[in-house]
Amino acid sequence: MGKVKIKNLKKNFGDLEVLKDINLEVKEQEVICIIGASGSGKSTLLRCINALEDASSGTIEVDGNDITRADGNINKYRQDIGMVFQQFNLFPHMTVLKNISFAPVALKLKTKAEAEEAALKLLRRVDLEEKANVYPEQLSGGQQQRVAIARALAMNPDVMLFDEPTSALDPEMVGEVLSVMKQLAKDGMTMIVVTHEMGFAREVADRVIFIDEGFIVEEGPPSEVFGNPKNQRTINFLNMVL
Amino acid sequence: MNIPSLIVQYWPRLLAGLALTVEITIISLILAGILGLVFGLLSVSKRKGLRGIALVYVDIVRGTPLLVQAFFIYFGIPQVLGIQSDPVVSGIITLSLNAGGYLAEIFRGGIESISRGQMEAARSLGLPYGMAMRSVILPQAVRTMTPALINQCIITLKDTSLLSVIGVTELTQTGRLIIANNYQSFEVWAIVAAMYFIIIMILSKISKRIERKMSYGKSKN
Ligand SMILES: Nc1ncnc2c1ncn2[C@@H]1O[C@H](COP(=O)(O)OP(=O)(O)OP(=O)(O)O)[C@@H](O)[C@H]1O
Ligand SMILES: [Mg+2]
Repeated sequence: MGKVKIKNLKKNFGDLEVLKDINLEVKEQEVICIIGASGSGKSTLLRCINALEDASSGTIEVDGNDITRADGNINKYRQDIGMVFQQFNLFPHMTVLKNISFAPVALKLKTKAEAEEAALKLLRRVDLEEKANVYPEQLSGGQQQRVAIARALAMNPDVMLFDEPTSALDPEMVGEVLSVMKQLAKDGMTMIVVTHEMGFAREVADRVIFIDEGFIVEEGPPSEVFGNPKNQRTINFLNMVL
Repeated sequence: MNIPSLIVQYWPRLLAGLALTVEITIISLILAGILGLVFGLLSVSKRKGLRGIALVYVDIVRGTPLLVQAFFIYFGIPQVLGIQSDPVVSGIITLSLNAGGYLAEIFRGGIESISRGQMEAARSLGLPYGMAMRSVILPQAVRTMTPALINQCIITLKDTSLLSVIGVTELTQTGRLIIANNYQSFEVWAIVAAMYFIIIMILSKISKRIERKMSYGKSKN
């Protein structure tokens, strides 16, 4: 059974049709990498999956719940969908530990002590245990992004969405974030990753999806999409980025 | 009479006037803070109708002189309602509504200065809008708003002097009443001015301190 099931998803901003007819099923523990040109709607697709954008039509089921019809339940559903942003978006007025433990405590899922203990464990997992009590501005970009991943994991999500998590980083910091993500994939997390890191997609993805002009133009295992692309637009795109 | 002996002679009255000035300022600012927060939140709402309500309020406050607002509330409204109005109460209502309008704009600006990603990150964790606003956006917004907030406090403190025209015996009115007795306009206004000046300087000093303490992470680590 699919963890995420997207059927006939359309999204327009006014007259601009960004997603025209997206159908996608993501299985439990699957790692999907979404590639495509700038402006092709990759972020929009991710943002629809946790209702940061409202779908214009179609359905998006996450773990059996239709996000597009969530109404008041949307907050509950979002707890199960972790999101990591290009710009990290850590809360600058909270320490690293508080960034991670805040939501579980505020939503009364954990006591403060439980949440902080869990946060420390997560910090160990992203190798930042010693930074628990500093503020985000005192961290490098790569460290901030690893904290952001820990923050999303603190909600024990069923699915993790990544929107170009390394695009805002200096080149020397890309590796540390990608290796955290690789480990996460190994641990069996279901992941949907928008990325320009083709090396990562090739190595980690179970399936690569190429989006162009609002449609999924090509999809398949990385070996096929990268090694033997069938669609001319995929070929053009890959020639440009590889 | 020279200034020192004037101060000695009128000190109790001047002090009472100053006390009323400060009291009206504090009460008005508290009420204005609530109004400013509520209308500031309305003005960043997704709903057009709610934004409209905030817009109308702010426009009325900004589009009319404070003195006219005071007359309207002290003379105009009681006449229609057929009630006796109290100068101090009317004064507090006027200043609260007035400062509330400006504070609403300050709150709106503060909230809008926080990057959209902050709200999105908070919502993506499953936090409801209100909780995200309260715990994530507003604490950051208030930090950026601090200079403007303090500025509004000083403006409201000075605006209390306009309430002398509706007979509130705050510091300015006290000065006028003293001069009506002794005709020493120069000396008395100098004393009154100095008293405002000192209070405002104290406020500015405190605010500089608060601003310095407010930058992230600097106090810890
Ligand atoms: N809130 C919005 N209002 C109007 N147009 C939008 C909005 N968000 C995105 N768009 C438009 O939708 C299109 C797709 O944007 P999107 O951010 O999904 O692209 P992307 O594939 O993520 O691109 P990039 O690789 O540059 O991040 C773009 O043309 C963009 O200008
Ligand atoms: Mg994008």
